[in-house]
Amino acid sequence: MAALLVSSGMTNNYFSLDDILASQETIPCTFNVKVATMGYLDQSTSDVDINMGTKLDLPFWLAKYLHKGSRGIVSVDTPKTYKEGYRHIFTADPNVVDLYRLGPYFYLFGEKLLSLQLPDTDDIANVLLKTFQGRFRNIMDGSQNALHSDLASQMEKLDVQERQLFAAGQQGLHEFQKWESRESEKLSTSAMVSNHRKRKRIGYIANAT
Amino acid sequence: MLAEKALDLVRELHRSLGGTLSPYNEDKIRQVLEEMQTLYDQNKDGAQFAAEGQTDLISAIQVRHAGIQRNKRCLLAYLYTRLEQIRKMRWEFGSVLPPDVKYNMCEQEVQWFNQYNRLLANYMRSVGESGGLDLTQDMKPPKTLYVLVRCIADHGEFETQDGNTVLFKKNSQHYLLRSECEHLIRQGVLEHIIQ
Amino acid sequence: MLIKDFRRDFYDVLQHQRVLVLVAFDVDALCACKILQYLFQCDQVLYTIVPVDGLQELEHAFLENAEGIRHVILINCGAAVDIVEMLQPEDHVRFYICDSHRPVDVHNFYNAVQVKLLMREDELSSMPAYDDLFRDDGEDESEESDSENDDPETGYKRKRFDDESIIRRQDRRRWNESRVKTLFDYSKFTSYGTSAALMMFELAWKLSKDTNSLLWLAIVGVTDQFVHYRTPRDKYMEDIMSLQSHVSRHNQRGADDENIMSVNCLRVSFEEELYLPLYRHWKLFDSICHSMPIACKLRLWSLKGQKRLHEFLAEMGLPLTQCKQQYSAMDTAMRSEVKVKILEYMNKYGLEIQDVIIPSFTMQYGYKHLLCATDFVYAAAAALESVDRLRLPTDNFLAATEILQRCVSRKIEAGLESAKLQLRGVVNQVQSFLDMHQIISAGPFLYVCVQEGTADSRFFSHPQCLLRLARYTLQAHCSVSRNKRVRSLPLVLGAPLSIEEGRSIMVGIPPLDTDDERKNFFGKAFEQAAESTNTVVRFNSFDSHIIEMKTEDRSKFFDALISILQ
Repeated sequence: MAALLVSSGMTNNYFSLDDILASQETIPCTFNVKVATMGYLDQSTSDVDINMGTKLDLPFWLAKYLHKGSRGIVSVDTPKTYKEGYRHIFTADPNVVDLYRLGPYFYLFGEKLLSLQLPDTDDIANVLLKTFQGRFRNIMDGSQNALHSDLASQMEKLDVQERQLFAAGQQGLHEFQKWESRESEKLSTSAMVSNHRKRKRIGYIANAT
Repeated sequence: MLAEKALDLVRELHRSLGGTLSPYNEDKIRQVLEEMQTLYDQNKDGAQFAAEGQTDLISAIQVRHAGIQRNKRCLLAYLYTRLEQIRKMRWEFGSVLPPDVKYNMCEQEVQWFNQYNRLLANYMRSVGESGGLDLTQDMKPPKTLYVLVRCIADHGEFETQDGNTVLFKKNSQHYLLRSECEHLIRQGVLEHIIQ
Repeated sequence: MLIKDFRRDFYDVLQHQRVLVLVAFDVDALCACKILQYLFQCDQVLYTIVPVDGLQELEHAFLENAEGIRHVILINCGAAVDIVEMLQPEDHVRFYICDSHRPVDVHNFYNAVQVKLLMREDELSSMPAYDDLFRDDGEDESEESDSENDDPETGYKRKRFDDESIIRRQDRRRWNESRVKTLFDYSKFTSYGTSAALMMFELAWKLSKDTNSLLWLAIVGVTDQFVHYRTPRDKYMEDIMSLQSHVSRHNQRGADDENIMSVNCLRVSFEEELYLPLYRHWKLFDSICHSMPIACKLRLWSLKGQKRLHEFLAEMGLPLTQCKQQYSAMDTAMRSEVKVKILEYMNKYGLEIQDVIIPSFTMQYGYKHLLCATDFVYAAAAALESVDRLRLPTDNFLAATEILQRCVSRKIEAGLESAKLQLRGVVNQVQSFLDMHQIISAGPFLYVCVQEGTADSRFFSHPQCLLRLARYTLQAHCSVSRNKRVRSLPLVLGAPLSIEEGRSIMVGIPPLDTDDERKNFFGKAFEQAAESTNTVVRFNSFDSHIIEMKTEDRSKFFDALISILQ
């Protein structure tokens, strides 16, 4: 469980790998000032400086830092997938959207956007919630009932956090199954040991052939 | 783009989570540190010029500063997550790690592991009245004092606490004290059978 | 020595002791072992279980595990041999034998210290009296020294040829002769007593530790004895009746709210079952084709027989499309009528009620598949005798154990599938015996051999399956033969055990007309035939009518067997 929390990113943890990856998603930015000597960030030009008014997609962590407070070096715009057009799609039927393709960290990134004080912040917040509400039933149903069936197809369209939720549901299901058949009392070879052994065995076979 | 290499490190670790420890990527870490050093040096120069009145450099300093911060975060997360993983391994593998796992650790991580080991051992020894308490035993709450086990492989004779010997021959079944066979189950010599 | 009070003289003695349990390879033994395991776990008796596949392994397993062991329990093995003589245990070792093999060796019965028999007293009533078997040792010795000692001094003191001594020696010779005869009469026929699982269940009941699961194991054990032709129908019915009272006791579902049991609990109920193998998990048509009584009465291996079967089905109003799909997918209305219809029309086809109906039990666990006791027997027996060459016999033993653990339904399904393969193998083999006219009358008995290299011969290197094949063959042969005498002829069936080593396995089964007794005389007959021909015959099985020998010695052995049985 501890591992799940660390990697879930829900806690906005400084050390969280997921949080780091989510904050790498880009946002369209416009530079309000000239930034000398940093032209290499914009690969479309060979200018030495970034000129005022340049439009550039910056990763969230950089955009936020430059946008924040009194700095105002850049002004930010809503990323395409959170704009009105997409928001309509999400409200129409959230279940058909492939959130993984739209950004594997759809919710986490969306949540971060809220801190940028964009003009449509309220709408984004709303659509995040509605989308999740709309999809939650399917995720729960899927994770609670798919015992041996093909999981890959079910998880395909889920964003990273939804996948974690799905996996947690699955784990719960399996543990319930084990409990039912009294397997949960069973002492077993520790997972790391058996994984390690398996990998070793594969290694031996690979070496032998 | 800034902090690209540090992100690679994070991605690499993120992929390999789930059971193992990937090799400590010393090379890449050095590259990240070099990038940070370069950014720092540039900022130091930039700050001097800015103080001399070249104000359009201030925004550049801020961009680079953000890059340094980002690099730092990625590196720390990389190291921290690895330590978490190593700590978990102490509980799963026991006090001695398999050599190939150890091989993937850096010098400082080995040191950390040894110290953690010692700390845990000291703590376990200090708990309770008589000789301490093995916290790695009874990882699941024991339901019974005795368990039924089946031998997965021939393991020769085994002396029980009451002085008897039991022959662990493949496919024989035994009903034994749980505490006696728990470590053999974890090592994969015996299989615990639920009736 | 026979134990009167199982609880006092067996169970209580074992408390706080380490016990070695040696279990034979049959379903009944497995069930008994599982019941015993449950009891031991209730009372935290430490034990080690080793499966033993034959006398040799029994000896081996004992030697390996004997260290520090004072109590050894033998389940479905060891009663028919002098266990103390065979294992040479230390004096403090006690053997508890729960074995359905009869007759029990006289030494086991009269050893009051080391051997305890867990059996029903009335089943041992044919035991010869002690005085007919043993004479006072003191007298024996003096007698011996008298006759063997040629020391002139003693000869001087006692006149060796005086009248008294002569009378005594004559008397002794006569006694010896009568002893041999008594022993022979006693051990002439082998048969089976009450199932070990049932004995263990009764112990559990006396200890008030019986549960529905244990009861189910006892049912499977008893059913195994019947399915593998060990006990006659009367004995089976008797056991079923006594089990039924337990079943109704355990499966009482109170009408009041307080006593309602969860649907997920194991439910056992008595049922007049269709005696069609595995039909619930098969196609009705296939199941009928593999049912021995029906197949033999209708002679299903011939075209005519197949026609008659179609006719039978048509008359019952069961369309072939329904019969040839999975039973579980059959029309529910039709499914519920199958039994009634069969009972209605069977007389016309010469079928009798015991050919199609067997009083038995079914179990259900939640809303999952309904399983019948015979399903379990077939599945577990097929797992015990798996034909997978990579598996050790002990692997099979554990696989069968898991099948009896009802929660692992995956394992049961796999077991049922291999049971179907076994049944198919048996039917195909019988068909080829009949087609090729391979069943030969040797005068006092019939014999037939499974040819080496036949596709299904791998199934028949295992005793239980071989036994089923023998029985099927005999029944089929009797149904086609015009000769009335065949019903009084026993059958000997040989099958290759290992082609590389040139070894065969052989089984003898009693004639059909003594089927209400199920007594087998082949144990003694095989023994004598082996002696008279000097063939090396391996009597390794716990069933003396199953032997192993070199394939090349087979004809010589048969000749001897003919002359003995004539």
